[in-house]
Amino acid sequence: MARRRDRTQQLASRAVQIGFLLAVLALWYAATNFWGVNHLLLPNPVTVFHQLVDVLKSGQFLPDLRVTATEFVVAFLLAMASGTLVGFFVSRSPYWIRVFEPLFAGINSIPIILLLPLYVLFFGLGAASKIAIGATISFFPIVLSTVAGFGNVDRMLVTAARSMGASDYQLFRYVLVPAALPVILSGLRIGFTVALLSILGSETIASLAGLGHQIVQLAENMEMAQMFAYVVFVLAITALLNVLVSRLEARGRRHG
Amino acid sequence: MTSIQSHGAATTVRPRQSGDPTVDSRFRGNERIDGARRFLLRHPGVVRLGVVVLMLLVWESAARFFMDPLFISPPSRVFASLGAVLDTEGVPNALRLTFFELAVGFAISVAVGLPLGLAIGLEPFARRSFMPIVLLIYGMPKITILPLFILVFGIGPESKIAFGVAHGIFPIIVTVVAGVQNLKPILLVSARSMGAGRWHILRWVIFPHMIPSFFAGMRLGMSGVLLGVLLAELYVSTAGIGYFTTMFTENFQPTKLFGLIAMLAAMAIVLNEIVRRAEHRFSRWR
Amino acid sequence: MSTGEVAIRIKSVGHHFGEAGEARHVRALADTSLDIVRGELLCLIGPSGCGKSTLLNVIGGLLAPTSGTVEVAGKPVHGPMPHDIAYIFQENALFPWNTVDQNVRLGMLFQGVPKSAHAARAQKSLEAVGLAEFADHYPAQLSGGMRQRAALARALSLQTDILLMDEPFGALDEQTRMILGEDLSVLLARTEKTIVFVTHSLGEAVFLADRVAVFSARPGTVKKILRIDEPHPRNPDFVTSEKFTALRNELYALLHDEIRKAVGSEAPRGRRGANGGAM
Repeated sequence: MARRRDRTQQLASRAVQIGFLLAVLALWYAATNFWGVNHLLLPNPVTVFHQLVDVLKSGQFLPDLRVTATEFVVAFLLAMASGTLVGFFVSRSPYWIRVFEPLFAGINSIPIILLLPLYVLFFGLGAASKIAIGATISFFPIVLSTVAGFGNVDRMLVTAARSMGASDYQLFRYVLVPAALPVILSGLRIGFTVALLSILGSETIASLAGLGHQIVQLAENMEMAQMFAYVVFVLAITALLNVLVSRLEARGRRHG
Repeated sequence: MTSIQSHGAATTVRPRQSGDPTVDSRFRGNERIDGARRFLLRHPGVVRLGVVVLMLLVWESAARFFMDPLFISPPSRVFASLGAVLDTEGVPNALRLTFFELAVGFAISVAVGLPLGLAIGLEPFARRSFMPIVLLIYGMPKITILPLFILVFGIGPESKIAFGVAHGIFPIIVTVVAGVQNLKPILLVSARSMGAGRWHILRWVIFPHMIPSFFAGMRLGMSGVLLGVLLAELYVSTAGIGYFTTMFTENFQPTKLFGLIAMLAAMAIVLNEIVRRAEHRFSRWR
Repeated sequence: MSTGEVAIRIKSVGHHFGEAGEARHVRALADTSLDIVRGELLCLIGPSGCGKSTLLNVIGGLLAPTSGTVEVAGKPVHGPMPHDIAYIFQENALFPWNTVDQNVRLGMLFQGVPKSAHAARAQKSLEAVGLAEFADHYPAQLSGGMRQRAALARALSLQTDILLMDEPFGALDEQTRMILGEDLSVLLARTEKTIVFVTHSLGEAVFLADRVAVFSARPGTVKKILRIDEPHPRNPDFVTSEKFTALRNELYALLHDEIRKAVGSEAPRGRRGANGGAM
């Protein structure tokens, strides 16, 4: 009896969500077609759709996508390499953890993006400044989770391994890494998301190329429909990447 | 000597060799160095400060001797010119304006986020229907529609406030909903058994229980508002600090730029600290 | 079963944590000497904080004593000796991300057993503890008793002469302890292993041990050694016999005062030794 009630409730909730989405779309359509909302502010959804199809078909998004993707990948790899390395070495001793962890946590709590003008001044408007700020911002969640992961390995497991004759390398590979992996992976996921947002953000604010920059360009030229098309495109890619990364993290957690 | 069980994360056990110092060797050797070492060992905060000072020194020497003064400025000069930054026409006003944008953005986020969070959290049907939507927008990179915000709200402080609210309101809703949800049902049952009506339960059981989560939400909300307002300012600004960061960048004035950003960072840290302390104080029972 | 040959020689071992004068200074173990014979099961029993776990750690090379030495199979102990000593802990030290079988194999990898021998040895030791069917289970899927069996299997697969066990059944309920104790006795009868076993339980000590070393309160030293002349494998009926009761009573008498002493002198929380509660 409770099961059936549950199922109907689930369906009802789903219905509300879909209804909400449809309502938003309907409002959008009505606003632009019937209520005379300025097309310069809110383009017709149909036009946006056509534009999106055009953009995708013509492949004109490719150069910008390449720029953004390169910046993002380099920034994240840099952050991942440095974050895990630094995190591992700090985690070797509880004393160093007490010294550095609050420092990292403190820096992590302020919006590091406000350093962007400094990076632009130093690296210029090109890809270097985006990569630099992306790597900087992404570094901190990764290093914090690495320190937490390695630092909280159950001491009993280490003692047991040592008592069985494990060498330093064996200890690292067969005990420390598997034990710390779930925590580190969650930090990598946060770093991934944050790097992506930082790259897009810095491209929006100060850049000569890339998807973020393209959106700004289109806005400045009042090409609203195309701008919306690009926004939808970027949102879709971000959502996809997020889902991918969550799946990977879940899989890593299951085997960890 | 090292022992496996008495130290931290993962220590190495080196088999003791016959020439090794034993525990007694600590009494031999320089007393003063040992005293200093022991002091540092007991005060990691001092070492942390030392690390920060070291980094400042690296910055100082790099900026002073190795790098182009057009692009970077040593901390000593930055610190000395803080006054000059404030003397620059319009900067104090810009700082005040930014603070105003932050405060209003935060206030709106809380004023709207709290009741919304309560409404969604208290009614299971509302929660199941609306939470996925809230989470969807929460996870969306709103930076992509920043140009849209500007188009809609203009280039004045309204757009900064709006963008700040867009970032700050969602963590508040999410944490309030979570705070209301993880109330142990036994507490509700016990209250009802003592005759509490709906309003009493809300006021005396649900509300106090939710306070720590609310403050956690406020902390995240403050971070969000900071992020949103600053991003919008850096994007386009006519009288806020974004205007001056652009100006100092384009005129290659690293000293003033560093100084201004340092002041902003200080503002961000202070605001964060205030909310964090408030959270700590109100979460003590947890 | 004992051949008379000394497997472990403990010479005047003492240990203190922290420096004299420091707040955390505690003298865990006073001058202790003991010879453990090959093939016997020796129990260390005593009040909390008396140093029995500390002594076990010293024997196992996990702790360097502040005074005295230990010789195992004629060699002085400097660190863990994985080829001579296998250690079983009270808390679960199985790696949670590995199956039972993988855990056993990992132990062999650490010790240096050639990979070709892993499968056979793992199978043999899992069968010996009765876990052959659960080889592909994860520790989280097993009960406490089964997890300790798995830990025992891992230790057995290392084929060491000496087995050190630090309250291995401490976290288990009484019925499981009973069963595991009987099985351990059977195992001991089959092999020639030397086992040093730390426990809090009087009944367990009398049932399992060939000799019981009774410790005094902190700083601990061996107060008296009780000999239990009963062949392994011990018959479950032994527990209800008069001999058992007499021995248990004797043990109780020896321990009772020490336990009271230990409880009476226990410092309030926060001032325990550096080894914390692992005493």
